[in-house]
Amino acid sequence: MTETGAFEKVLTRYQTIPGYRGTLPEYEAHGGYQALHTVLGKMAPAEVVDAVKRSGLRGRGGAGFPCGMKWGFIPKDSGKPVYLVVNGDESEPGTFKDRMLIEEEPHQILEGVILSSYAIGCHLAFLYCRGEFVRGAQVLQRTIAEAYDKGYLGRNILGSGFDLDVIQHRGAGAYICGEETGLLESLEGKRGQPRPKPPFPAVSGLYRCPTVVNNVETLSNIPHILLRGPEWFTAIGPPKSTGPRLFSVSGHVARPGNYELPMSVTLRQLIFEHAGGIPGGRALKAVIPGGSSSPVLTPAHLDVTMDFDSLAAVGSMGGSGAVVVMDETTCMVRVGEIVSRFYHHESCGQCTQCREGTAWLHKVLRRIEHGQGRKEDLDLLLDMCDNMKGKTICVLSDAAAMPIESYLKHFRDEFERHIRDRACPFAGAAGVRKH
Amino acid sequence: MPKLTINGIEVTTAGPATILEAAKSAGIEIPHYCYHPGLSIVGQCRMCQVEVEKMPKLVTACNTSAADGMVVTTNSPKVEKARRAVLEFYLLNHPLDCPICDRGGECPLQDYTMKYGPGESRSVEPKVQRAKHVVLGPHVIFDQERCILCTRCIRFCREVPKTGELGVFARGDRSEINLFPGQMLDNAYSGNVIDICPVGALTSRQYRFQSRPWDLIRHTHSVCPLCSAGCNVVLDVRDKQSGNELLRINPRENMAVNRWWMCDEGRFTFRYHHDPDRLMLPLVKSGDQQHTSAPEAVLDSVASALAHILAAQGASSIGCIVSSRHTNEELFLVRRFFRDLLQTPHVDHRVRPVQMQASDAPEDAILRRTDKTANSHGARDLDVLPGPDGLDTAGMIEAARAGRLKALFVFDEDLAQERPDLPVADALRGLDLVVVTSLFRHATAALAHAVFPGLGFAEKEGSFTNYQGRIQKIHRALEPAGACRPVAEILGGLAGRLGKPLGVVTPEQIWTEIAAQPGPYHGIDWQMIGPEGIIPSEVRKEP
Repeated sequence: MTETGAFEKVLTRYQTIPGYRGTLPEYEAHGGYQALHTVLGKMAPAEVVDAVKRSGLRGRGGAGFPCGMKWGFIPKDSGKPVYLVVNGDESEPGTFKDRMLIEEEPHQILEGVILSSYAIGCHLAFLYCRGEFVRGAQVLQRTIAEAYDKGYLGRNILGSGFDLDVIQHRGAGAYICGEETGLLESLEGKRGQPRPKPPFPAVSGLYRCPTVVNNVETLSNIPHILLRGPEWFTAIGPPKSTGPRLFSVSGHVARPGNYELPMSVTLRQLIFEHAGGIPGGRALKAVIPGGSSSPVLTPAHLDVTMDFDSLAAVGSMGGSGAVVVMDETTCMVRVGEIVSRFYHHESCGQCTQCREGTAWLHKVLRRIEHGQGRKEDLDLLLDMCDNMKGKTICVLSDAAAMPIESYLKHFRDEFERHIRDRACPFAGAAGVRKH
Repeated sequence: MPKLTINGIEVTTAGPATILEAAKSAGIEIPHYCYHPGLSIVGQCRMCQVEVEKMPKLVTACNTSAADGMVVTTNSPKVEKARRAVLEFYLLNHPLDCPICDRGGECPLQDYTMKYGPGESRSVEPKVQRAKHVVLGPHVIFDQERCILCTRCIRFCREVPKTGELGVFARGDRSEINLFPGQMLDNAYSGNVIDICPVGALTSRQYRFQSRPWDLIRHTHSVCPLCSAGCNVVLDVRDKQSGNELLRINPRENMAVNRWWMCDEGRFTFRYHHDPDRLMLPLVKSGDQQHTSAPEAVLDSVASALAHILAAQGASSIGCIVSSRHTNEELFLVRRFFRDLLQTPHVDHRVRPVQMQASDAPEDAILRRTDKTANSHGARDLDVLPGPDGLDTAGMIEAARAGRLKALFVFDEDLAQERPDLPVADALRGLDLVVVTSLFRHATAALAHAVFPGLGFAEKEGSFTNYQGRIQKIHRALEPAGACRPVAEILGGLAGRLGKPLGVVTPEQIWTEIAAQPGPYHGIDWQMIGPEGIIPSEVRKEP
């Protein structure tokens, strides 16, 4: 075992407690809400912001933006209410860590919400929970009720004079509502489509008021940072990717699941030590390291550490922490078809390149996979991707284009073989779903 | 006042502006679809992307503020590629049915594709099929396949009439614009969505398949005559075998009056010009019947009857009610003829209560006004009102019934219809001479001894003064139908026969006389009345 093996779990520590169900008494019995007692009325909000800044905590939703810096963008004297919105609309394919935190350790999120609201001067916070998370929404509702009963929410929390109300809102089934401004539109009762930026939500967010949108996992870190100090947090993982991270490992591994680890873990360790390697003795072919929108990596990249910057350096991204492992029986064209089908389905449709491009990508990839590809399709796909990237209101268009580009970059021969053979060479192979 | 460089040209904007507005002010075209100056900015079509020095990505010109020292390029290879790509994406699912599309020839999608787009498609995929010719409301038909989802129509309905009938439904390339359940696109301004649609998705039920843009021989600037707002319009005329035909009215931008909009009533009410029931020849009464007659003969008989009444009863037995639908020039001549030449004080333009000064009011918060005539303000300015001891409209009807009035001229008003509270029919039956001008037979015309066929506004030259006091010109788009004659010719003909020539004839000559006399229009030269009109008091303020 490497040093990451000795890592003490933070966000998923509850997993070591037998019979733990995440209720308020259980959470409190194991140190829950201590940070709240320590901070509320005893630390100035600015000190809380400063502590989070010093912790180096980066957003766990996908972009990896420094959390404290995001909070710091809230104008001090806008005269408008400030809102905190919890992004629980986890929908990036391959990602299933927020769902676990919501269902199993909900008070950790809520404590993070209360502390963060205190820091940014928010008195009304919204939990935006993915609509498909029926159980999660029930758990969150129970959690909010428990916190109100105990006086952790409502007026004058813990005698500090700080008031906070929390409202849960359930999404209606759209990936794009995980994009923070799409989420805000949805929360306002409108069609979920991202807003042009600037202005950013910190200046003009929910109901055009200063708003912080933070991911579930990001907020779950806050109580620990404030209780144990930013220095404790920065000691975990590489200097610019501090703190623990949940990796959702899926695909061709022996033990798929969520793994909480420092981001100094290598891809090799994650797959072969933690997730138990590839079953059946088959060879690794490709890995999506940060959710379906991240460019694919190959066995040549196995020694990359799973921090934001190292993954960027090899041309991919940490994204949402979803690691999808694919072995040698996987058809990369089929992967492209599936991934592009997802973005085709989920594009909100407001920007031309994304609305039309996601559909076109999907159609061409489907055609190639089904033996109808043309030689010129590959350059067409690349040019299409170029026309889609960096030109739209949000990054869904980029998210649709980047993986396809990477599949073509690393597995072009496989695409060419589909076209040459006028068929998928993997069709009927062991372990591969027939079309 | 940002000073920036666009394509190497230094541009200074008059105030805060977006890159798109700054470029427009310098005459540099940045193609766009979703942006419209009268609507909120959404930045969705991505057509207006430009390159700005030191910015890593292309930016949308419509929602990026112009800033001091900014260096903008609208024609770099990077911009041109992005633009070509947007057009290619648009055309993936566009039916390319330009040859049968109403918009073909005046279509921004067609124009930009020709100018900036790819020559041919790289797509071999089947196009998404959608609903065709969907009736959205009384005036608008929707072709979903042509729609490029710019959402201008949606924003218009939300932001201008604030009725919000339209929305986007579904996502991605399944997105479609449609009516919300239970709604119809039937607000009073619905026709504007046809104008602002940058493709042929929203077409006019009235104009649909009536013409190709290049068959329209005239685009005549005019002013809508249907209320006192004075919305600026363009009259589109096609030359047909049956003669010139007015096919379409579109609003003309005038920021001081109607901005880019007009109401549906104004837009779609003009077919009367070509109505087969329209009066084409004068009518004269013999016995209980009216029959058509040659204009000169009718003028002769009216003049001789008038001369007889003048001699026997005096000028004060003659009354005149003239609609404020008439131009300033027509009103001036009517006033001159009755007040100055015949010297009767009984002249009025006020038929409806709303025409009393200051009772004309906004009908909504947009354009429409309660005075449904175009020129009450002008009629007041020109004193088309009773003179000393003169009778107003109700007074004239009363006097006619009492036998104190012998002759009444009614210019373009159906008094019987408009004033059911007055004994119009009784009064008119007792008169020795009733002369009416009208486009159609109506209850009042039926009582007349002589009816002259009137002109529609599209057949006139002249000016209206809107509720603001803004003088605006209307121009002739159609030659007068049949034997219809301008008021100037009718009055000129009568005056000549009475030995009191009226003098001036053309609108410009008449205006020169108006401007020469004291009054609100004194000193306003005909040439000063430009395409956006003129408010005399505003001109005089300038040194």
